[in-house]
Amino acid sequence: MAILLMKKINKLINNVKRTMFTSSLDTFISLFITSILFVCTVKLSKWFFLKANWTVVEENIPLFLFGVFPADQRWRPSLWLIILISLVVLTLFTPSWSFFRKLLPFAWIAVIPIGIALLAGGIGLSPVASRYWGGLTLTIFLMMSSLFLAFPFGIILAFGRQSKLQLIKYFCSIYIETLRAIPLISILFFGQLLIPLFLPVEIEINRVLRSIIAFTLFVSAYIAEDIRGGLQAIPKSQIEAAKSLGFNTFQITRFILLPQVLQIALPALTNQAVGLLQNTSLMSILGLVELLGISRSLLANPKFIGQYMEVYVWLAAIYWFICTIMALVAQNIERKTTLVKLI
Amino acid sequence: MINPIVSANELVKTYSKGLIALNNISMVVNKKEVLVVMGPSGSGKSTLIRTFNGLESFDSGELEVVGITIGTDPEDRKVREIRKRVGMVFQQFNLFPHLSILENITLAPIQVQRKNRIEAEDHAMELLSQMGIEKQAKKYPIQLSGGEQQRVAIARSLAVNPELLLFDEPTSALDPERVNEVLDAMRKLAQDGMTMVVVTHEVSFAKEVADRVVFMDSGKIIETSSPNVFFNNAKEERSRKFLNQIIK
Ligand SMILES: Nc1ncnc2c1ncn2[C@@H]1O[C@H](COP(=O)(O)OP(=O)(O)O)[C@@H](O)[C@H]1O
Ligand SMILES: [Mg+2]
Repeated sequence: MAILLMKKINKLINNVKRTMFTSSLDTFISLFITSILFVCTVKLSKWFFLKANWTVVEENIPLFLFGVFPADQRWRPSLWLIILISLVVLTLFTPSWSFFRKLLPFAWIAVIPIGIALLAGGIGLSPVASRYWGGLTLTIFLMMSSLFLAFPFGIILAFGRQSKLQLIKYFCSIYIETLRAIPLISILFFGQLLIPLFLPVEIEINRVLRSIIAFTLFVSAYIAEDIRGGLQAIPKSQIEAAKSLGFNTFQITRFILLPQVLQIALPALTNQAVGLLQNTSLMSILGLVELLGISRSLLANPKFIGQYMEVYVWLAAIYWFICTIMALVAQNIERKTTLVKLI
Repeated sequence: MINPIVSANELVKTYSKGLIALNNISMVVNKKEVLVVMGPSGSGKSTLIRTFNGLESFDSGELEVVGITIGTDPEDRKVREIRKRVGMVFQQFNLFPHLSILENITLAPIQVQRKNRIEAEDHAMELLSQMGIEKQAKKYPIQLSGGEQQRVAIARSLAVNPELLLFDEPTSALDPERVNEVLDAMRKLAQDGMTMVVVTHEVSFAKEVADRVVFMDSGKIIETSSPNVFFNNAKEERSRKFLNQIIK
């Protein structure tokens, strides 16, 4: 044991010597960077353990999680988050051969209506207006429902862009290029201000729904491009083979193209999902109290004034944590659905 | 009189840059016949057999395949009807990489012909053992050698019980030692009475199996002869020149 360990350490030292200290310039750069890292680490730990006052985080955990959701109803968003966590755990640990795994996609889809039912109430639960939704719950809800809507929409756009019907082709191309040319923040502004104008006065769409629509419109254009990338990776000769077997266009799409495209595009789609999660924070300047929004209103409270460092470090940690989980789930799906590497 | 399976009359096809790929092609393929198409690269062989199942359109002329007439601007439905009854095997195999061998073969019977899965799988296994590769059923295309993949492709096109099989240089992408396993499978098909149009440079296969050889050059049919005549005593100067080049 000890000898093995020694060998490993030796190998590491050799590696470090070889890669970082071969020439005098290398040595200088290595020492310089190491000392900067060292100073930063010391300063950060000092702040983290000695100076920072974490009470602002500790006292407001429910606020970060649920926003201003009525206190006596907090079990509802809690339950939804627990369902989500269980789903993540199930996804990560169900073996690929198990029957249960076939049900997981449906569970992931079902979790959105369940979330709406739990948050909004109505059926047996007291209704809670969407302006009381907030915190991490709202952040995740925004991300998941926008993705859920943008995904099929993006697939349709991508295939529309390849359509033989010129009208459909141009409509999809123009849509995709336009939405990719506009910054997200202005689409969100338009969503908040313009969507109500297009609708009759009696129909009032709440802020949450409006932002989901705006995110969906935006992300679907990017998803469409990722899907198109996947489509281009499939050789035309495969489509010819399918045609010569008598498949129609729908069957070729459903059985030949989509399964391969989704597998090829999965890493890119994961990026979209992670990007979307982070972009939901833009809604904090458009009147939603999602994770960032609730933190900003918390910092406006005189009691916690000036403690923004603590709050933002805490926020960064939460966003990092959620993104990591998403990456893990995506990796897992990739591993378990990839029977053969296509490219 | 029995109608031929394919009858083409004065087919003309021009690609966009004014290149004439098919120049007044008239020919028939009869039932249970093996027709070998030969000719130098770029002479229009692929274009010709790809018009037979609607993968290529043509500019003028008449074409009837398995009793269905397709014009210069065919309806999708008619073309699909032909494709359901005409199989095609490509140079590059073109198996579906995300599906197992068995799934590659059963997809069309299940989805296009609405056969039930068990029936389709039984038939697929039968075809695979006919091709000598029933052990590979659970594997994926990339796990197979080229020769095996091509035999799967043949089995896949047979799975819908076609009346005509088109082969576009089925052995050109194979390692030399893998060519015969595919040709043997095709020989067997010919013996069983399958109607086949085969684009190939395999002289021994053509001599042995073909009923007629069609020689093309620059989009034209130069000569149609029995293999005996074509290989020993070709009528046309251009055919002899071509044969001299491929048989050294
Ligand atoms: N999609 C295409 N666009 C333009 N020209 C083509 C296309 N396909 C084939 N051709 C041309 O048509 C001619 C016949 O091609 P092809 O039928 O593939 O010949 P062969 O199969 O005998 O080698 C060639 O000169 C080729 O360059
Ligand atoms: Mg060719």
